[in-house]
Amino acid sequence: MTGLAPIDGLVVLAILAKAIGYGAALLAMGGVLFSVVFSQHAEASVIRLARKLAVGAALVGLAVLAIRFGIRAARISGMGIEGATDPMMLGFVWDSPLGTAAIWRGIGELAIVAILVPRIGQWIALAGSVAIAISFAQVGHALGEPRAALAVLLVLHLLAAAFWVGALIPLRRAALISDGAELLHHFGKLAAGGVAALVLAGTSLAWLLSGSTIALFGTAYGLALLVKVAIVAVLLGFAAWNKVRLVPALRAEKPGATHALRRSISMEMLAVVLILLATATITSVTTPPINL
Amino acid sequence: MIKQTLLGLAVIIAPVLAFAHSKSEATTPANGATVTEVPELSMRFDDPMRIISVTLTSSDRDVEIERETGMDPATEFRALPLEELTPGSYRFDWRGMASDGHPMQGSFSFTVTE
Repeated sequence: MTGLAPIDGLVVLAILAKAIGYGAALLAMGGVLFSVVFSQHAEASVIRLARKLAVGAALVGLAVLAIRFGIRAARISGMGIEGATDPMMLGFVWDSPLGTAAIWRGIGELAIVAILVPRIGQWIALAGSVAIAISFAQVGHALGEPRAALAVLLVLHLLAAAFWVGALIPLRRAALISDGAELLHHFGKLAAGGVAALVLAGTSLAWLLSGSTIALFGTAYGLALLVKVAIVAVLLGFAAWNKVRLVPALRAEKPGATHALRRSISMEMLAVVLILLATATITSVTTPPINL
Repeated sequence: MIKQTLLGLAVIIAPVLAFAHSKSEATTPANGATVTEVPELSMRFDDPMRIISVTLTSSDRDVEIERETGMDPATEFRALPLEELTPGSYRFDWRGMASDGHPMQGSFSFTVTE
């Protein structure tokens, strides 16, 4: 297979840690975005859940960040897992773009904890969310040219994705609350705009980063990407079904609507987990066609 | 809605960040080559690579080599075998980190004859 790196135990560990790191970052950013955007529309308990989610995810994110440093050091050292604590190897990782990204992500995730502070706290946390998004522009392909455009597009893309992913758990809770249907409806309207932002940023990124469509079918990167697209298709199907059918059913107080909607959101969450695993795999063991 | 879904698809596949790699372009001896002597082992990369660990093995025995290139990122890596390589097949393995921070590893093999 063209463009597939060797896979060993440490790589599998690295992929799992990366996927958890992605999930934690999106939930932390998304929890903050949700609580800021819907502070006037959602019931206090739903906002509290979003904030708790953001703080919990930020703390998990910080722990995973430290673990990923160790895994990276072990991978480059050739010493196996012992390399994870080797000061020289850790120094090399710190000097690499992962070090720069870790500073942005670490500061961002710490800032998100500030959401527990009344009033001013949410603005600090919001800045933290942006810092986390920026951290992703410090590594990988975002370092290519045109760098500024890639960075801006990626930050926008991640914020839009986080808005969606971070809303799932609070919305699932909202479905149980008497006036939750209005919040869900309101989210659906905003999410349409979010999808537009995702589309604009995403297609531009794809255009700037990709080589040729043909390469998708002949490389490990391309095939993994197609698997991811298939899962994304399922996710969008659930999202569309929720917006068009299940939320209106909930608003009309149809019997069984709450259960159906909550189950559908759970399926969305499962799809997100699979997408994060697929993305972590793609970014760990394959090389995009343009860089082969 | 279908249109939106299709556009959405195009989008979510996009942030698959991968790493711009520096690949090993040429090695001495060349991968798969049969040679009579090995005065040095070298690799060239198209982008600076921090080579961290290197091993030369022959039938599961580690052969001692001395690196001439340090651990700083370099586009050319050189090492010298500390003993004359006896006939047999050899495999050179390396691990390191590309300038974008991505862990890299690779290997090449060659055969030494009389």
